[in-house]
Amino acid sequence: MDTGKILAGFLAPHPPHLVYGENPPQNEPRSKGGWEPLRWAYERARENLEKYKPDVLLVHSPHWVTQQGHHFLGVQNLCGKSVDPIFPNLFRYSFELNVDVELAEACCEEASAAGLTAKMMRNPEFRVDYGTITTLHMIRPQWDIPIVGISANNSPYYLGTREGLEEMDILGSATRRAVENTGRRAVLLASNTLCHYHFSEEPAVPEDMSQEHPHDYEGYLWDMRVIELLRRGRTNEVFELLPQFIDEAFAEVKSGAFTWMFSAMGYPNIPGELHGYGTVIGTGNAVMEWDMSAAALA
Amino acid sequence: MALETLSWSGTCRLQRWHEIDMSVVSAFLVPGSPLPRIQGGNPPWDAMAKALSAAGDVLASTDPDSIVVYSTQWIAVLDQLWQTREQVAGRHVDENWHEFGVLEYDMAIDVELATACIEESSSIGVKSKAVNYDGFPIDTGTIVADSFLNRIRKPVVVTSNNVYHDMAVTESIGQLVAKSAREQRKDIAVVAVGGLSGAFFRQEIIPEDDRIFSEAYDSANRKMLDLICSGNCQKAMAFVPEYNEQASPEMGFKHFGFVSGALGHKYSKAEVHHYGPLYGSGGAVIEFQV
Ligand SMILES: [Fe+2]
Repeated sequence: MDTGKILAGFLAPHPPHLVYGENPPQNEPRSKGGWEPLRWAYERARENLEKYKPDVLLVHSPHWVTQQGHHFLGVQNLCGKSVDPIFPNLFRYSFELNVDVELAEACCEEASAAGLTAKMMRNPEFRVDYGTITTLHMIRPQWDIPIVGISANNSPYYLGTREGLEEMDILGSATRRAVENTGRRAVLLASNTLCHYHFSEEPAVPEDMSQEHPHDYEGYLWDMRVIELLRRGRTNEVFELLPQFIDEAFAEVKSGAFTWMFSAMGYPNIPGELHGYGTVIGTGNAVMEWDMSAAALA
Repeated sequence: MALETLSWSGTCRLQRWHEIDMSVVSAFLVPGSPLPRIQGGNPPWDAMAKALSAAGDVLASTDPDSIVVYSTQWIAVLDQLWQTREQVAGRHVDENWHEFGVLEYDMAIDVELATACIEESSSIGVKSKAVNYDGFPIDTGTIVADSFLNRIRKPVVVTSNNVYHDMAVTESIGQLVAKSAREQRKDIAVVAVGGLSGAFFRQEIIPEDDRIFSEAYDSANRKMLDLICSGNCQKAMAFVPEYNEQASPEMGFKHFGFVSGALGHKYSKAEVHHYGPLYGSGGAVIEFQV
C-alpha cells in the first residue's frame, strides 16, 4: 500500500443559503437564486476537486458540537432529512452519504494516541448536521466520494482560543498520520465562515441580494487582510494573527476547522487560490483552495 | 386586574400584571441533559431521573390545559421561534451522547396558544416566528423534559432561546406566555429547561465518579438554590449576575428568567427535588410553589 497523502485543502464555508440559492432536488424550499458569486466560486472549486480524484473528503463542521471529545462519523451509510434549526425556511435537505469508516477509525485512534478524547459515532439513526451537509453538497453535489465527518469539540470556546486551537493542531496532525497510514488520497474541507457578525433579521425575500452586504466595515477589512495574506502564501502570519482576528471579527474559524486543516497540511506557506468571496446575512465567506503539490515544489 | 407599565433595563417596555386569576398552575426548572433519560439506571443520574419523574407527578396533579417548555438548547439567532406544527413526533439521537440510543418523542402542540404568543410578541419589542416544518430538529432538552414531565400527554407550547435576548427580554417572553394563556383562559404548567454551573468534564468519566466540577461551582449553585427556595424572587434574580460570574451557568441562567417572568416574579417558595452533577455541570429539579 502506498503512503496516503493530503492532496489539497479547501476553505469551504457552509451557509445553507448557498444550497437554497442553487435549488438542488434534495432541498425542499425553492428560490430564485441569490449569492451567485459564492455559488460560482464553489463551481470553480468543484472543477478543481474533480482533478484531484480523491478517495475521500474529510470535513470538520462547527455545527456538530460534542462536549466530550472529538467524534467521527462511523456508520457506513447515513441518510435522512437535515433541517437547519436556524434557517428551516431555507434548508430542508434529504441526504444520503457514504462514510470511509476505516479512515474515520484510524483518525479516531490517532487522535486518542495523541492524548485527545476521541470517539466513533456508531448510531445509524444519527442526523448529520447541516454544516457538514452544506459543505459537502457545495463541493461535490454528486455525493459519490466517501467522506469522514468530524465534530467540533468547541475546545476554543471552552478553554480559550489559544489553548483550544492547540487541540485542533493536535487533531490535524493525527488526521494526517491516519491518512498516510491508510494509504488514502484525501482532500480536507474546513467548513468555516470568516467574519461572523450577522444581521439579526432576514429580508422578506431571503435571496433579495439588494439586502446583502458585509455586516460591518471592520469585519470586511479583517477578511480582506486575512485573504490577502493567504493568497500570498503567508500562512505563518495568518496564524499569528488568528486569535486577534477571531476576537475582533467574531470569526467562525474559532471553532477549529481552519486550524485542523492547516495543521494536517503542515501549515504550508503556499499561495491559496481564492475562488470567490461573498457575504451571507452579513457574514464573510471565502472559498479557497491549497494545492499540496505546490507545497512539494516549494 | 391592575396594570402598570415598567421600564425594563432599557431593552424593552413591558407590562406587569398583578393578577388574582393566575394562569400558571405549576412551574419547574429542570436540566436538559439526556443522561437521566438514557442512562437513568446509573448513579448518580438515577436520582435526577427519579426527581424528574416526581416533578412530573406534581405537574400532573395540577392538571394544566397546556405545558409551556422553554429550552436553552433550542438555539435561535434571528427571531423568537415557536413550534406551530400540530404534532411533532420522531426519533432523536443526541449529538454528543449518541452511543446511548434514541430519544423518541411525540408531542401535540398547542398551536392556538403559540400563535397568540407570536402575535402578541411585538408588544414587548420581540420579533417572533412560527416554526412548522416536517423534520425540524427538536432539541434534546425539550424532548427530555417532555418525556419526564408530560406523562399526562398535554399539549405543549415549545419556544426557543434566542442567544441575543438578554435576561430582561427572556423574562418578558415568560410573562407574555402567561398573559396569553390567561387571555385564552388556559391553565398552564411552565417548564424551563437548563442547567446550573456550566463547567463539565471533557474526558470520559465513570458515572459513579461524577461530581460538580469544583467546590467553588458547587457552593455558587447552593447559594443560588437557597435564594430561589427562599421564595424571594427579586432577591434571587438580583443574584444572577454574580452567579453568572461565579458559575457560568448555561446561557446566563435565562431559563430562571423565563420561569420568573411567567410567574410574574412571584411564588411562595420553591423546592429542590434533587441537585447533582451531570458530567461535572450542575443540574437541579426545582418546583416553584405558585
Ligand atoms: Fe456556521
